[in-house]
Amino acid sequence: MRSSRTRPAALTRPRWFLLTALAVCVLACGPAPEVLTFSGSVLGAEGAIVRRQIERFATLHPGLPVDVRATPDSADARHQLYVQWLNAWSPQPDVLQLDVIWTPEFAAAGWILPLDRFAPDTDDFFPATIAANRWQGRLFAMPWLVDVGMLYWRTDLLSGPPATFDELATSVRSQLSRGTVSQGLVWQGARYEGLVCVFLEYLTAFGGQILDDDGAVDVDSPEAVRALTFMRQSIADGVVPGSVLTWQEEQTRFAFQNGNALFLRNWPYAASLMNEKDAVVRSRFAVASMPSSGGRPAAALGGAQLAINARSRHAASAWRLIEYLTAPAQLIERAHATGQFPARPSLYAADTLADALPVPPDDARRIIDKAIPRPVTPVYTELSGELQIHLHRALTDQERPDQALALAAGQLRAILNRAGLDGARH
Amino acid sequence: MIRLRRRPLEIRETRLAWLLMTPTLALLAVMALGPLVATIWESLFSHDLRLPWLGRTFIGLGNYTEAASDARFRQALAHTVGFTVTTVAIELVLGLLLALMLDALVRFRGLARVLVLLPWALPTVVAALIWRLMFADQAAPAAELLDWVVPGSSRVDWLAGPQSAWVPIVLAEVWKTTPFMALLLLAGLQGIDRTLDDAARLDGASALQRFRHITLPLLRPAIVVALIFRTLDALRVFDLVFVLTGGGPGTSTEVVSMYAFTSLLQNLRFGYGSALSVIVFVIGFSLALGYVRMLEPVREAR
Repeated sequence: MRSSRTRPAALTRPRWFLLTALAVCVLACGPAPEVLTFSGSVLGAEGAIVRRQIERFATLHPGLPVDVRATPDSADARHQLYVQWLNAWSPQPDVLQLDVIWTPEFAAAGWILPLDRFAPDTDDFFPATIAANRWQGRLFAMPWLVDVGMLYWRTDLLSGPPATFDELATSVRSQLSRGTVSQGLVWQGARYEGLVCVFLEYLTAFGGQILDDDGAVDVDSPEAVRALTFMRQSIADGVVPGSVLTWQEEQTRFAFQNGNALFLRNWPYAASLMNEKDAVVRSRFAVASMPSSGGRPAAALGGAQLAINARSRHAASAWRLIEYLTAPAQLIERAHATGQFPARPSLYAADTLADALPVPPDDARRIIDKAIPRPVTPVYTELSGELQIHLHRALTDQERPDQALALAAGQLRAILNRAGLDGARH
Repeated sequence: MIRLRRRPLEIRETRLAWLLMTPTLALLAVMALGPLVATIWESLFSHDLRLPWLGRTFIGLGNYTEAASDARFRQALAHTVGFTVTTVAIELVLGLLLALMLDALVRFRGLARVLVLLPWALPTVVAALIWRLMFADQAAPAAELLDWVVPGSSRVDWLAGPQSAWVPIVLAEVWKTTPFMALLLLAGLQGIDRTLDDAARLDGASALQRFRHITLPLLRPAIVVALIFRTLDALRVFDLVFVLTGGGPGTSTEVVSMYAFTSLLQNLRFGYGSALSVIVFVIGFSLALGYVRMLEPVREAR
């Protein structure tokens, strides 16, 4: 009290300052700025090309400025951030780059818009990518870039890729005995998402499936038990080295890139890196789809999709941006910049992609045609977590394959049941 | 007269003390108590961020009964307790030996202490990565060393075996935290009056007798403090296991904080994950209380 009378100047100055600050804040932070926000991978070559394309889109549509919001490149971290934003009903970002396994989760939560109102033209997209982005009959995200599991094989040691797993094992044994390689087939066998992708490819090759068409759990079928038993036997026989049980993508790539392994199961990114100058196997490898064994050859589907935030204030503009980014011209340009596979099959027929992709476009196309989505369900991550545990236990001899799959199936049913999703996919 | 004048002063001082404590108490309430109460409250709900259509319903102790019947949780709890008992016991013995040696050193004391502390100074994730590299596969240094000691045994994938995966985890933890244990015990050793030891020696006590009847009893408070720190730390172990094995193979090295993390932040089951966290907190807190009890009679005896 007393001090305010004796030192007025000292107090009025901060008061004025506060008032001004408040006024500035009311003007600046009051209504949200009218911008369209895109969020996704913005690192390195990917970031450069997406920024260039978005700037071009903004000059074509001068009404609304477009902002690029960086998100973590790690899938888990980005997922967590998205869930925080969307769960809090934030109207931004407007356009979200999604991993293929997130679409049903966000769709079921009501966090992203069904796109049917914009009458999207889905004819020129790989069917598997459209199927993966549908939830309860409606399309929730547009496929953008495709990732597929591929079999890398050594062209200097083999005359062609194996069509069956038995052929693959024969090649491995003869090359191992000749000493040309020290390892046969390497894949991602650590307990993480990659293991489920590998299992899905073996499973389909043996004629099995994780969920059936009605969304019911089918992973304890005899076909599935045969597939998992075969995987475990491959390790016991030395066709697949035991070390893979702790390996993720990069360790398997090193094994193949250094010339140690005869076969590698990996995503397309590995091809770009193994084409570089210092790679031992440079121009001594090719890609094919994984072999089969009674079922059909399959490639686990990954990749990027674009979706619209359900609370977006600029849904129409957001859709225009998605249409623009997924248009053939932009996809071709992007393929040349990053080597990523476009989601439109028509582009592979023309010569436009000839030297854009790290592998011949024909080979890429043949593999993508065999792509299958992982189970399309909002609780995929939880299902995958349980599967990872039991698959890994079976591969490390802690559970018999039939036992492991029976236990996993029980857990999967419990998760679907808790979520109220048992058999409610359609 | 003096008494009458002192009492109001005392009251005033007490009041002042509380007043001065207020910011600290407020900070504690906001930073420690608030989140704790919020977590306990959340643990009474069925709340799955992934399944918003199920809503957030009050289920009382439902999450706790689920945890009690959750085999994976019980297994993780057993792993954590086993890990804590094993590593803390080894660290106590090695740390005591190390502290006695450092205490007996006449020259290069400072240098020796710095060198001993190096592993402790390394960030856990970095240490874990180094140990992971050493045990990564059949061609890793650890496997080659074993092959040299026991010929023909190099074909062991340490991290892929349900039992063998514990070896690098325990080794890394002991390697990293024994120095910390040693330093705490060294501080205790240096607080012991040397003349007691000298007197016992004059009376003809052997080195072992002096250690058992003089050093060890007087070191007890330091040992208890070191045990509190290490036990609580070991119970919360996360980063080391996360980097070395990720809880695998299967779930054979999964510890309780990892399982809580998976439930809470990966599966986004907020209610259940909170309940798991509360259980871990209660276990750690009661252990700390037990240790503090152990400390008290010592203080009174003095």
